[in-house]
Amino acid sequence: MSRLMPATPVARALLRSPLFAALALALAWELAVRGLAISPRYLPALSAVLRDAWSVWPQLFASFNRTLLETLLGFAAGAAFGCLAGITFSYARLMERAVFPLFVVSQTVPVVAFGALIVIWFGNSLLAKVVTAFFLTFFPVTVNTLHGLASCDPQRIALMRSFGARGPVMFFKLALPSALPQILVGLRLGIGLSLVGSIVGEWFGETLGLGVMLIEAMNSDQIVRIWVVIVACGLMGALLYSVLTLIERKIIWWRAES
Amino acid sequence: MKAARILPVAASLLVLVALWQGAIAVFGIPPFVLPSLGAILKHAASEAGPLSAALGATLLEASSGYLLGALCGLLLAMLMVLVRPLQRCLMPLCVAVNSVPIVAYAPLCLIWFGMGPASKIVLIALAVGFTILVNALHGLQLPEEAAINLMRSFGASSIGIMRRLRLPAAMPSVVSGLRVAVPRSMIVAIVGEMLGAYKGLGRVIYESTQQVNLLNVWAAVLFASLASMLLYGLLVWIDRKLVWWR
Repeated sequence: MSRLMPATPVARALLRSPLFAALALALAWELAVRGLAISPRYLPALSAVLRDAWSVWPQLFASFNRTLLETLLGFAAGAAFGCLAGITFSYARLMERAVFPLFVVSQTVPVVAFGALIVIWFGNSLLAKVVTAFFLTFFPVTVNTLHGLASCDPQRIALMRSFGARGPVMFFKLALPSALPQILVGLRLGIGLSLVGSIVGEWFGETLGLGVMLIEAMNSDQIVRIWVVIVACGLMGALLYSVLTLIERKIIWWRAES
Repeated sequence: MKAARILPVAASLLVLVALWQGAIAVFGIPPFVLPSLGAILKHAASEAGPLSAALGATLLEASSGYLLGALCGLLLAMLMVLVRPLQRCLMPLCVAVNSVPIVAYAPLCLIWFGMGPASKIVLIALAVGFTILVNALHGLQLPEEAAINLMRSFGASSIGIMRRLRLPAAMPSVVSGLRVAVPRSMIVAIVGEMLGAYKGLGRVIYESTQQVNLLNVWAAVLFASLASMLLYGLLVWIDRKLVWWR
């Protein structure tokens, strides 16, 4: 064990970092394709994918930004709505009984089937994709907000109350902070779904975006281009996820104690 | 108790229906933007034959992909827990594959496995498999080191520990993964079919959209929603029966 592990802590930290894992993966990909002579029809070499990405760089860059914008807007709307809905449900039991089952049902509706209808409702605009992303995002945030608020320690509530804390103070000083870790779990689930929503939303008539590039590549049978888009989507997913994790670490410093 | 649960839901459903029909009546919304509920139901009833055939094809793909994915996900998770180095090697790959939204793989699957059901089954298995893998890995690693060491000191093998300790401990987590995966498998099946298929609800939705037969789209959505609601209900019921010790 000790012989395999480098002695210095810096080198060890480097080995454990996600960047190293990504580099190792990239190297393994390139070597596997060359070594095993995998047909480019199944898996093109990473170098070929990168070369193709470079050849369509302006379009790829613009598409990446467009899809990122749609995802972020849809996510923001879904997260805000989900939090508000979760808070409403946890403080108004009747609302939870009446509306929450409808939320559950709404998630079994395949939103992609509505793609064409959404385009009719909102036009072929940015808004149509944002709505698709929103629809996929709000549910996990609602559920986790509801759970987080419900799991607040009753002893702490009693303590705060005995000091005369009421309503808003109770909410901002106790309920919200103790629910935040759970809410962030919901946000992390939501960000991935939001990306799915904006990509699928682009399939229904759009000229710019990673979803569009994906469909175009499929229709022209360009396997390497499909892989370019897959890698781009993966990078965006990983980027969004790690930004969220970073924010989580910055905000929820009190989690370490519990 | 039952009435107290059902009444509010029924009330909010009524409000929703009233809003839907009221909006059409008050704002004079044309049927191609929002058809009336009656028209959708009537159309669904008259097209019930072709729609249920399409639903059957979609359900077959969804259920085979679901079973395949759940089985592979669970087995892979168990293997990764039994053979630690495997976990260290495979985890980065899994994270990388998983960070790509599943729909991005749909074109690849269609090109590799053709327009038939095979491509959808693979896609669904991938989506379901990852959900189960993540949940099972989490659940299998829940038992404390002390409990594992205790069992080992009594001579239990790794496989014995897996069967007696880890698997039961992982059950709730796995079941919640199974539940999340149900609507997901339906959605992925329909997405796959929309991109290219010979039959299925997704195909019906795609073709009806192209022919601007929006009533048919609504009817297909109704069928898909009812089916995944039924599946979800079934799984909640199984969950209550199976994990009774919670």
